[in-house]
Amino acid sequence: MDLTGAFGARSAAVGPCREPPGLESLHIGGGDGGFTALLELPPTQAVELLHFTDPSLSSSSQAAAAAVAGIGLDVSPPPPLHAYGALTFPSNEALMERAARFSVMANEQQQQQNGNVSGETTTTSSVPSNSDRVKTEPGETDSSQRLENNRCGKRKELDKKVKGSTKKKSKSSEENEKLPYVHVRARRGQATDSHSLAERARREKINARMKLLQELVPGCDKIQGTALVLDEIINHVQSLQRQVEMLSMRLAAVNPRIDFNFDTLLASENGSLMDGSFSGTAMQLAWPHQVTETEQSFHHRQLQQLPLPPQQWPYDGLNQPAWGREGDQDQGNGHSSLMVGSASLHPNQVKMEL
Amino acid sequence: MQPTSSMKEEFLQKWQMGLQIYRPLIDNTSVSERRKAIKLSADVAMASLRRGTTCWSRALIQKTATEDNFLVRQMLSGIKAETLINKKLPKVMCHRKIVRRSKKILRRRKSRSAIEEVAAKARKLVNKKTQGLRNVVPGGEFMSNDVLLIQETLDYIVSLQTQVNVMRSIVDAAEAGSER
Repeated sequence: MDLTGAFGARSAAVGPCREPPGLESLHIGGGDGGFTALLELPPTQAVELLHFTDPSLSSSSQAAAAAVAGIGLDVSPPPPLHAYGALTFPSNEALMERAARFSVMANEQQQQQNGNVSGETTTTSSVPSNSDRVKTEPGETDSSQRLENNRCGKRKELDKKVKGSTKKKSKSSEENEKLPYVHVRARRGQATDSHSLAERARREKINARMKLLQELVPGCDKIQGTALVLDEIINHVQSLQRQVEMLSMRLAAVNPRIDFNFDTLLASENGSLMDGSFSGTAMQLAWPHQVTETEQSFHHRQLQQLPLPPQQWPYDGLNQPAWGREGDQDQGNGHSSLMVGSASLHPNQVKMEL
Repeated sequence: MQPTSSMKEEFLQKWQMGLQIYRPLIDNTSVSERRKAIKLSADVAMASLRRGTTCWSRALIQKTATEDNFLVRQMLSGIKAETLINKKLPKVMCHRKIVRRSKKILRRRKSRSAIEEVAAKARKLVNKKTQGLRNVVPGGEFMSNDVLLIQETLDYIVSLQTQVNVMRSIVDAAEAGSER
């Protein structure tokens, strides 16, 4: 569920070599209340969890893809813990750093009081907001407040309460060290029951993912307000879908021969198709025409009437190496070049090329 | 997260596989039929990249299965095919009209301050946009919560981008090749 994902991120923040023992139980038992799950851990480890940050949050794209794939499942066996670390996309780090910079002041007080030993600075300490949920929550919501002030009217009151919240946060952090469970000081003007806490956690999740979406969709960074961002996202998705339709139409219209066989040769010849230049792939396209047509459609073509192409096939220079490659099909190559030329001119006359 | 080259290659392979299935069909001569074949195989290829882990991929596969069952079966070759195609449309179908009507009945009369009215309007707008997003993303109606919806949207956008990139390069190469 959502909350187990949060804890997964937190555990990943601990690092693969330092997983606290009780963490496995978090995934199973931490379903109902986000903060009560910390009860199961001894206090020092809870504090460790809250303090420790992973300076290198970057993950391989594969892990990120696996995590993204794993996100969609609501009910799933918990994957290895470090896989959840990839829940924080590489871009997330930058986002969190930005969020952290807004709340540097608030965090500095906290760090001094807790005597954070690690060399990690205030910025990194609040980088994974999921892991420092209790501590930096007011800090992060400061930044999110400014970004989304117009989203929720309640939050307008909270701008004034920042100072009060930092003081309370420091108190709560002290108590965390002593007691086995986490006191969460609510900010002024907000209820303290678990429902609103869970809702707040849920909102944080949504906001974090919206930020990711904003990064993904071009031109969304400047926009303020959730509704407009959603608008942009919808437009982007629709434009991508329309592009797919246009491209498939173009491909269908281009040449009935091309689409079905050439990309095998392309893929095999190019290491990765995308890195090669288009001119390179275009050259190679001529070869598959000759190869495949000679192999499979030669006798069919003989039955058809071939109108002579009015213009010379400009890839004549290319025919030489092709003939060199397939010496036994010299006749076919000549015909196939004719065929391709005519095909481009009269696509409807080419019947069987499929 | 941008499309990686490994994703692109995998998509290309799967798409080719799908197109090969259409090869023996000789009556694919009309442009519209070919376009449909290309698009369907591209969609299934894109969805199969995620191997059924994401909600949108499953919904997309089911959608294309209604159009061309055979293609989907062949492309997915066994493992996913039966489970995905035969499975009914999943869990929560949120009948929005019914929910809205019941909410209206249950709504208490509350004194609304100016701030709350603005917030309520903003929330309504956001909900409308969210519903619009659900309409666009395949399988969006079945995503019960917003967090899931946004995650799926993220993944869907990345996959769409992959699909567009690969298709565009193929089309450009093909057009450049056949222009002369």
